[in-house]
Amino acid sequence: MDPHFRAFSFVDRITSFESGDRIHGEYLIPSGLDNFTASLVAEAVGQLAAWAAMATVDFKRRPVAGLAGEIVLLHPVRPGQRLELAVDLDTVDLDAASYAGTAHADGIPVIRLRHCVGPMMAVDHFDDPEALRARFELLCNEGAVPGGFGGVPALPLERIEDEAGQRAIAILRVPAQGDFFADHFPRRPVFPGSLLINASMELAAALAGEMPAPAAGGSWALRVISDVKLRAFTPPGSVLEIEARLNQLSPQAATMSVEARKGKRVISGVRVGLAPEDRA
Amino acid sequence: MSNTNITKEEIAALYPKVADIMADALGCDVDRIKPDSSLIGDLGAESIDFLDIVFRLERTFKVKIPRGKIVEEARGSLSEAEFERGGVVTKAGVEQLGFFLSEVPAERFGSPLRVADIPRLFTTETFCKMIIRQQRAAAGTAPA
Repeated sequence: MDPHFRAFSFVDRITSFESGDRIHGEYLIPSGLDNFTASLVAEAVGQLAAWAAMATVDFKRRPVAGLAGEIVLLHPVRPGQRLELAVDLDTVDLDAASYAGTAHADGIPVIRLRHCVGPMMAVDHFDDPEALRARFELLCNEGAVPGGFGGVPALPLERIEDEAGQRAIAILRVPAQGDFFADHFPRRPVFPGSLLINASMELAAALAGEMPAPAAGGSWALRVISDVKLRAFTPPGSVLEIEARLNQLSPQAATMSVEARKGKRVISGVRVGLAPEDRA
Repeated sequence: MSNTNITKEEIAALYPKVADIMADALGCDVDRIKPDSSLIGDLGAESIDFLDIVFRLERTFKVKIPRGKIVEEARGSLSEAEFERGGVVTKAGVEQLGFFLSEVPAERFGSPLRVADIPRLFTTETFCKMIIRQQRAAAGTAPA
Protein backbone atom coordinates (compact mmCIF):
# COMPACT_ATOMS: atom_id res chain seq x y z
CA MET A 1 0.00 0.00 0.00
CA ASP A 2 1.24 3.51 -0.79
CA PRO A 3 3.04 4.73 2.34
CA HIS A 4 2.33 8.40 1.52
CA PHE A 5 0.11 9.88 4.24
CA ARG A 6 0.14 6.51 6.03
CA ALA A 7 3.54 5.34 7.16
CA PHE A 8 4.37 8.39 9.31
CA SER A 9 1.21 10.45 9.44
CA PHE A 10 -0.55 11.03 12.73
CA VAL A 11 -3.58 13.18 11.98
CA ASP A 12 -6.74 11.34 10.84
CA ARG A 13 -9.11 14.25 10.99
CA ILE A 14 -9.14 17.99 11.45
CA THR A 15 -12.21 18.84 13.48
CA SER A 16 -11.85 22.61 13.52
CA PHE A 17 -9.51 25.21 12.03
CA GLU A 18 -9.30 28.97 12.42
CA SER A 19 -6.63 30.04 9.97
CA GLY A 20 -3.51 31.33 11.67
CA ASP A 21 -5.03 30.81 15.11
CA ARG A 22 -6.21 27.44 16.38
CA ILE A 23 -6.68 23.93 15.04
CA HIS A 24 -8.10 20.73 16.53
CA GLY A 25 -7.73 17.20 15.23
CA GLU A 26 -7.85 13.53 16.04
CA TYR A 27 -5.67 10.49 15.59
CA LEU A 28 -6.61 6.88 16.34
CA ILE A 29 -3.53 4.96 17.49
CA PRO A 30 -3.64 1.63 15.64
CA SER A 31 -4.54 -1.11 18.09
CA GLY A 32 -2.12 -3.65 16.66
CA LEU A 33 1.00 -1.73 17.68
CA ASP A 34 3.22 -2.80 20.57
CA ASN A 35 3.38 0.75 21.86
CA PHE A 36 3.08 4.41 20.88
CA THR A 37 5.82 6.51 22.38
CA ALA A 38 5.53 10.00 23.82
CA SER A 39 7.72 11.28 20.99
CA LEU A 40 5.14 10.07 18.47
CA VAL A 41 2.39 11.82 20.43
CA ALA A 42 4.49 14.99 20.21
CA GLU A 43 4.95 14.28 16.49
CA ALA A 44 1.16 14.12 16.10
CA VAL A 45 0.77 17.54 17.73
CA GLY A 46 3.54 18.90 15.50
CA GLN A 47 1.92 17.47 12.39
CA LEU A 48 -1.39 19.13 13.26
CA ALA A 49 0.50 22.40 13.66
CA ALA A 50 2.15 21.80 10.29
CA TRP A 51 -1.23 21.39 8.59
CA ALA A 52 -2.40 24.67 10.07
CA ALA A 53 0.78 26.47 9.05
CA MET A 54 0.73 25.11 5.49
CA ALA A 55 -2.92 26.01 5.02
CA THR A 56 -2.28 29.51 6.37
CA VAL A 57 0.37 30.17 3.70
CA ASP A 58 -1.58 28.41 0.92
CA PHE A 59 0.74 25.39 0.85
CA LYS A 60 3.70 27.40 -0.39
CA ARG A 61 5.86 26.54 2.60
CA ARG A 62 5.85 23.99 5.36
CA PRO A 63 7.38 23.97 8.85
CA VAL A 64 10.03 21.46 9.69
CA ALA A 65 10.96 20.37 13.20
CA GLY A 66 13.17 22.99 14.78
CA LEU A 67 12.68 24.05 18.36
CA ALA A 68 10.56 22.95 21.30
CA GLY A 69 10.90 24.96 24.46
CA GLU A 70 9.16 22.44 26.66
CA ILE A 71 7.44 19.08 26.24
CA VAL A 72 5.77 17.85 29.41
CA LEU A 73 5.11 14.12 29.50
CA LEU A 74 1.89 13.76 31.48
CA HIS A 75 0.61 10.27 30.84
CA PRO A 76 1.51 7.34 28.60
CA VAL A 77 -0.86 6.32 25.82
CA ARG A 78 -1.90 2.88 24.60
CA PRO A 79 -2.51 1.49 21.15
CA GLY A 80 -6.20 1.71 20.38
CA GLN A 81 -6.69 5.06 22.11
CA ARG A 82 -7.91 8.08 20.21
CA LEU A 83 -5.76 11.19 20.58
CA GLU A 84 -7.52 14.54 20.69
CA LEU A 85 -5.00 17.05 19.40
CA ALA A 86 -5.10 20.82 19.82
CA VAL A 87 -2.70 23.51 18.64
CA ASP A 88 -2.68 27.24 19.24
CA LEU A 89 -0.65 29.04 16.62
CA ASP A 90 1.28 32.06 17.82
CA THR A 91 2.78 33.24 14.55
CA VAL A 92 2.82 31.88 11.04
CA ASP A 93 4.76 33.58 8.29
CA LEU A 94 7.01 32.54 5.43
CA ASP A 95 10.00 32.21 7.80
CA ALA A 96 8.63 30.32 10.78
CA ALA A 97 5.60 28.94 12.54
CA SER A 98 5.42 29.05 16.32
CA TYR A 99 2.85 27.23 18.39
CA ALA A 100 1.84 25.44 21.56
CA GLY A 101 -0.19 22.25 21.66
CA THR A 102 -1.67 19.44 23.69
CA ALA A 103 -2.87 15.89 23.26
CA HIS A 104 -5.54 14.16 25.31
CA ALA A 105 -6.58 10.51 25.31
CA ASP A 106 -9.91 9.49 26.83
CA GLY A 107 -10.18 13.01 28.19
CA ILE A 108 -6.85 12.74 30.06
CA PRO A 109 -4.07 15.16 29.10
CA VAL A 110 -1.09 13.13 27.92
CA ILE A 111 1.34 15.71 26.57
CA ARG A 112 1.80 19.45 26.53
CA LEU A 113 4.11 21.33 24.16
CA ARG A 114 5.11 24.96 24.56
CA HIS A 115 7.27 27.44 22.67
CA CYS A 116 7.62 25.30 19.55
CA VAL A 117 9.08 26.83 16.40
CA GLY A 118 9.26 25.26 12.98
CA PRO A 119 11.38 26.99 10.34
CA MET A 120 9.33 27.27 7.17
CA MET A 121 10.79 25.81 3.97
CA ALA A 122 9.59 25.54 0.38
CA VAL A 123 6.92 22.86 0.45
CA ASP A 124 7.72 21.46 -2.98
CA HIS A 125 11.16 20.39 -1.75
CA PHE A 126 9.37 17.88 0.43
CA ASP A 127 6.06 16.93 -1.19
CA ASP A 128 3.62 17.78 -3.95
CA PRO A 129 1.76 20.93 -2.84
CA GLU A 130 -1.42 19.82 -4.58
CA ALA A 131 -1.31 16.42 -2.90
CA LEU A 132 -0.97 18.21 0.42
CA ARG A 133 -3.83 20.53 -0.38
CA ALA A 134 -6.06 17.61 -1.31
CA ARG A 135 -5.09 15.73 1.83
CA PHE A 136 -5.90 18.77 3.95
CA GLU A 137 -9.37 18.95 2.38
CA LEU A 138 -9.89 15.28 3.13
CA LEU A 139 -8.80 15.71 6.74
CA CYS A 140 -11.14 18.68 7.17
CA ASN A 141 -14.11 16.81 5.72
CA GLU A 142 -14.68 13.07 5.96
CA GLY A 143 -11.25 12.38 7.46
CA ALA A 144 -8.69 9.75 6.57
CA VAL A 145 -9.13 6.02 7.05
CA PRO A 146 -7.29 5.32 10.30
CA GLY A 147 -4.79 2.56 10.91
CA GLY A 148 -2.17 3.36 8.30
CA PHE A 149 0.78 3.49 10.70
CA GLY A 150 2.39 0.10 11.15
CA GLY A 151 5.12 1.12 13.55
CA VAL A 152 8.78 1.90 12.96
CA PRO A 153 11.65 -0.58 12.90
CA ALA A 154 13.57 -1.15 16.10
CA LEU A 155 16.33 1.42 16.47
CA PRO A 156 18.73 -0.10 18.97
CA LEU A 157 21.33 2.02 20.68
CA GLU A 158 24.81 0.51 20.79
CA ARG A 159 26.53 1.72 23.94
CA ILE A 160 30.17 2.47 23.24
CA GLU A 161 31.35 4.42 26.22
CA ASP A 162 30.09 5.39 29.62
CA GLU A 163 30.80 6.57 33.10
CA ALA A 164 28.13 4.76 35.06
CA GLY A 165 25.42 7.15 36.14
CA GLN A 166 27.25 10.21 34.77
CA ARG A 167 27.61 9.89 31.02
CA ALA A 168 26.59 7.49 28.29
CA ILE A 169 27.50 7.45 24.61
CA ALA A 170 25.76 5.24 22.07
CA ILE A 171 25.67 4.75 18.33
CA LEU A 172 22.35 5.00 16.49
CA ARG A 173 22.33 3.52 13.01
CA VAL A 174 19.57 5.20 11.04
CA PRO A 175 18.01 2.69 8.61
CA ALA A 176 18.82 3.18 4.96
CA GLN A 177 15.27 2.31 3.99
CA GLY A 178 11.88 2.24 5.56
CA ASP A 179 8.27 3.00 4.78
CA PHE A 180 8.39 6.02 7.05
CA PHE A 181 10.96 7.65 4.78
CA ALA A 182 8.48 7.56 1.90
CA ASP A 183 6.10 9.61 4.04
CA HIS A 184 8.72 11.80 5.72
CA PHE A 185 9.11 13.12 3.13
CA PRO A 186 8.24 11.86 -0.36
CA ARG A 187 10.64 14.23 -2.14
CA ARG A 188 13.27 14.41 0.60
CA PRO A 189 13.48 11.39 2.89
CA VAL A 190 14.87 12.37 6.29
CA PHE A 191 14.96 10.64 9.66
CA PRO A 192 12.11 12.14 11.68
CA GLY A 193 13.25 14.47 14.42
CA SER A 194 10.77 12.84 16.79
CA LEU A 195 12.51 9.47 16.38
CA LEU A 196 15.88 11.09 17.04
CA ILE A 197 14.48 12.71 20.17
CA ASN A 198 13.01 9.34 21.18
CA ALA A 199 16.45 7.75 20.88
CA SER A 200 17.85 10.59 23.01
CA MET A 201 15.17 9.93 25.63
CA GLU A 202 15.94 6.21 25.59
CA LEU A 203 19.61 6.88 26.27
CA ALA A 204 18.67 9.31 29.04
CA ALA A 205 16.42 6.64 30.57
CA ALA A 206 19.21 4.09 30.39
CA LEU A 207 21.60 6.50 32.11
CA ALA A 208 18.95 7.24 34.73
CA GLY A 209 18.80 3.52 35.48
CA GLU A 210 22.47 3.69 36.50
CA MET A 211 22.06 6.65 38.83
CA PRO A 212 21.47 6.36 42.56
CA ALA A 213 17.76 5.80 43.16
CA PRO A 214 15.59 8.74 44.24
CA ALA A 215 15.49 9.44 47.98
CA ALA A 216 11.96 8.06 48.23
CA GLY A 217 13.01 4.85 46.51
CA GLY A 218 11.75 3.47 43.23
CA SER A 219 13.14 4.64 39.94
CA TRP A 220 13.54 7.79 37.88
CA ALA A 221 11.04 8.74 35.19
CA LEU A 222 11.41 11.25 32.37
CA ARG A 223 8.97 14.08 33.00
CA VAL A 224 9.99 17.07 30.90
CA ILE A 225 11.94 17.48 27.69
CA SER A 226 13.14 21.04 27.15
CA ASP A 227 15.32 23.21 24.93
CA VAL A 228 14.88 20.81 22.03
CA LYS A 229 16.86 22.00 19.04
CA LEU A 230 17.20 20.17 15.72
CA ARG A 231 20.02 21.68 13.69
CA ALA A 232 20.18 19.60 10.54
CA PHE A 233 18.37 16.92 8.60
CA THR A 234 19.52 13.32 9.03
CA PRO A 235 19.51 11.36 5.75
CA PRO A 236 18.71 7.63 5.63
CA GLY A 237 21.67 5.42 6.45
CA SER A 238 23.34 7.98 8.73
CA VAL A 239 25.35 6.86 11.72
CA LEU A 240 24.87 9.10 14.73
CA GLU A 241 26.58 9.29 18.06
CA ILE A 242 24.31 10.21 20.96
CA GLU A 243 25.74 11.39 24.27
CA ALA A 244 23.75 11.79 27.48
CA ARG A 245 25.28 13.64 30.39
CA LEU A 246 24.00 14.05 33.92
CA ASN A 247 23.97 17.76 34.80
CA GLN A 248 22.35 17.85 38.21
CA LEU A 249 21.21 15.28 40.71
CA SER A 250 19.32 15.80 43.93
CA PRO A 251 17.28 13.32 45.97
CA GLN A 252 14.08 14.44 44.19
CA ALA A 253 15.14 15.58 40.73
CA ALA A 254 17.73 15.13 38.02
CA THR A 255 18.54 16.90 34.76
CA MET A 256 20.49 15.65 31.81
CA SER A 257 21.57 17.04 28.47
CA VAL A 258 21.57 14.78 25.43
CA GLU A 259 23.26 15.61 22.16
CA ALA A 260 23.27 13.75 18.84
CA ARG A 261 26.18 14.20 16.45
CA LYS A 262 27.03 13.05 12.96
CA GLY A 263 30.80 13.14 12.93
CA LYS A 264 31.64 16.50 14.45
CA ARG A 265 28.36 18.09 13.40
CA VAL A 266 25.83 18.51 16.20
CA ILE A 267 22.46 17.38 14.86
CA SER A 268 20.25 17.81 17.90
CA GLY A 269 20.24 18.73 21.56
CA VAL A 270 17.70 18.28 24.33
CA ARG A 271 17.54 18.71 28.08
CA VAL A 272 15.72 16.07 30.08
CA GLY A 273 14.13 16.57 33.48
CA LEU A 274 13.58 13.48 35.63
CA ALA A 275 11.58 12.92 38.78
CA PRO A 276 10.82 9.88 40.93
CA GLU A 277 8.33 7.60 39.23
CA ASP A 278 4.82 7.85 40.64
CA ARG A 279 4.06 4.66 42.42
CA ALA A 280 0.43 5.47 43.17
CA MET B 1 12.88 53.32 12.52
CA SER B 2 16.33 54.73 13.32
CA ASN B 3 19.01 54.48 15.92
CA THR B 4 18.48 58.03 17.06
CA ASN B 5 18.67 58.47 20.81
CA ILE B 6 19.22 54.82 21.75
CA THR B 7 21.42 55.48 24.73
CA LYS B 8 24.14 53.43 26.33
CA GLU B 9 22.03 53.37 29.46
CA GLU B 10 19.07 51.85 27.63
CA ILE B 11 21.30 49.17 26.16
CA ALA B 12 22.97 48.51 29.52
CA ALA B 13 19.57 48.03 31.14
CA LEU B 14 18.68 45.24 28.72
CA TYR B 15 22.08 43.70 28.19
CA PRO B 16 22.29 41.24 31.14
CA LYS B 17 18.97 39.60 30.26
CA VAL B 18 19.76 39.52 26.54
CA ALA B 19 23.14 37.93 27.27
CA ASP B 20 21.49 35.31 29.50
CA ILE B 21 19.00 34.47 26.78
CA MET B 22 21.69 34.16 24.15
CA ALA B 23 23.80 31.95 26.41
CA ASP B 24 20.78 29.71 27.06
CA ALA B 25 19.93 29.49 23.38
CA LEU B 26 23.52 28.77 22.36
CA GLY B 27 24.21 26.41 25.25
CA CYS B 28 27.29 28.33 26.31
CA ASP B 29 28.53 30.06 29.42
CA VAL B 30 27.19 33.61 29.71
CA ASP B 31 30.77 34.79 30.27
CA ARG B 32 31.43 34.02 26.61
CA ILE B 33 28.84 36.58 25.53
CA LYS B 34 30.21 40.11 25.11
CA PRO B 35 28.42 43.22 23.82
CA ASP B 36 30.36 43.09 20.58
CA SER B 37 30.29 39.29 20.19
CA SER B 38 29.24 38.50 16.65
CA LEU B 39 26.62 35.79 16.73
CA ILE B 40 28.05 33.79 13.89
CA GLY B 41 31.73 34.62 13.91
CA ASP B 42 32.40 34.62 17.64
CA LEU B 43 29.61 32.46 19.01
CA GLY B 44 29.17 29.95 16.19
CA ALA B 45 25.42 30.52 15.83
CA GLU B 46 23.48 28.90 13.00
CA SER B 47 20.19 29.97 11.46
CA ILE B 48 18.20 27.85 13.94
CA ASP B 49 19.98 29.68 16.77
CA PHE B 50 18.90 33.02 15.30
CA LEU B 51 15.30 31.85 15.34
CA ASP B 52 15.71 30.51 18.87
CA ILE B 53 17.20 33.77 20.14
CA VAL B 54 14.61 35.96 18.42
CA PHE B 55 11.67 33.95 19.74
CA ARG B 56 13.11 33.87 23.27
CA LEU B 57 13.68 37.63 23.17
CA GLU B 58 10.13 38.19 21.93
CA ARG B 59 8.68 36.12 24.78
CA THR B 60 10.84 37.73 27.43
CA PHE B 61 10.44 41.35 26.37
CA LYS B 62 6.88 40.99 24.99
CA VAL B 63 7.76 42.51 21.62
CA LYS B 64 7.60 41.27 18.05
CA ILE B 65 10.91 41.36 16.20
CA PRO B 66 10.15 41.50 12.47
CA ARG B 67 12.48 38.74 11.28
CA GLY B 68 11.89 39.29 7.62
CA LYS B 69 12.20 43.07 7.87
CA ILE B 70 15.48 43.56 9.69
CA VAL B 71 17.35 44.23 6.45
CA GLU B 72 14.49 46.46 5.27
CA GLU B 73 14.91 48.54 8.43
CA ALA B 74 18.66 48.65 7.96
CA ARG B 75 18.09 50.27 4.54
CA GLY B 76 16.69 53.36 6.22
CA SER B 77 15.70 55.94 3.60
CA LEU B 78 17.52 54.19 0.75
CA SER B 79 15.45 52.40 -1.84
CA GLU B 80 16.13 48.73 -2.47
CA ALA B 81 17.95 49.62 -5.69
CA GLU B 82 20.10 52.17 -3.87
CA PHE B 83 20.91 49.72 -1.10
CA GLU B 84 21.86 46.63 -3.04
CA ARG B 85 22.47 45.38 -6.56
CA GLY B 86 22.55 41.75 -7.49
CA GLY B 87 22.57 40.74 -3.84
CA VAL B 88 25.61 42.90 -3.03
CA VAL B 89 25.29 45.94 -0.80
CA THR B 90 26.23 49.19 -2.56
CA LYS B 91 28.70 51.71 -1.20
CA ALA B 92 25.79 53.90 -0.06
CA GLY B 93 24.20 50.80 1.44
CA VAL B 94 27.31 49.93 3.43
CA GLU B 95 27.44 53.50 4.73
CA GLN B 96 23.77 53.32 5.77
CA LEU B 97 24.36 49.91 7.32
CA GLY B 98 27.30 51.29 9.28
CA PHE B 99 25.02 53.94 10.70
CA PHE B 100 22.21 51.48 11.50
CA LEU B 101 24.58 48.92 13.00
CA SER B 102 26.74 51.53 14.72
CA GLU B 103 27.66 48.98 17.39
CA VAL B 104 29.44 46.75 14.89
CA PRO B 105 33.18 47.44 14.55
CA ALA B 106 33.87 49.04 11.16
CA GLU B 107 36.45 46.44 10.19
CA ARG B 108 33.75 43.73 10.15
CA PHE B 109 32.01 45.35 7.17
CA GLY B 110 33.81 43.33 4.55
CA SER B 111 33.88 44.27 0.88
CA PRO B 112 32.03 43.16 -1.11
CA LEU B 113 29.27 42.68 1.44
CA ARG B 114 26.44 40.38 0.35
CA VAL B 115 22.93 41.09 1.62
CA ALA B 116 22.69 37.46 2.74
CA ASP B 117 25.72 38.06 4.97
CA ILE B 118 24.27 41.04 6.83
CA PRO B 119 23.11 38.83 9.76
CA ARG B 120 26.74 37.79 10.20
CA LEU B 121 27.38 41.34 11.44
CA PHE B 122 24.84 41.15 14.26
CA THR B 123 26.15 41.35 17.80
CA THR B 124 24.61 41.06 21.24
CA GLU B 125 24.20 44.81 21.25
CA THR B 126 22.40 44.64 17.90
CA PHE B 127 19.69 42.57 19.54
CA CYS B 128 19.47 44.97 22.47
CA LYS B 129 18.82 47.80 20.01
CA MET B 130 16.22 45.74 18.11
CA ILE B 131 14.28 45.25 21.33
CA ILE B 132 14.50 48.93 22.25
CA ARG B 133 13.20 49.94 18.81
CA GLN B 134 10.28 47.53 19.08
CA GLN B 135 9.50 48.64 22.63
CA ARG B 136 9.45 52.24 21.46
CA ALA B 137 7.30 51.39 18.46
CA ALA B 138 4.84 49.58 20.70
CA ALA B 139 4.73 52.55 23.05
CA GLY B 140 4.37 54.98 20.14
CA THR B 141 7.57 56.74 21.08
CA ALA B 142 9.69 56.03 18.00
CA PRO B 143 12.09 58.91 17.42
CA ALA B 144 11.45 61.16 14.45
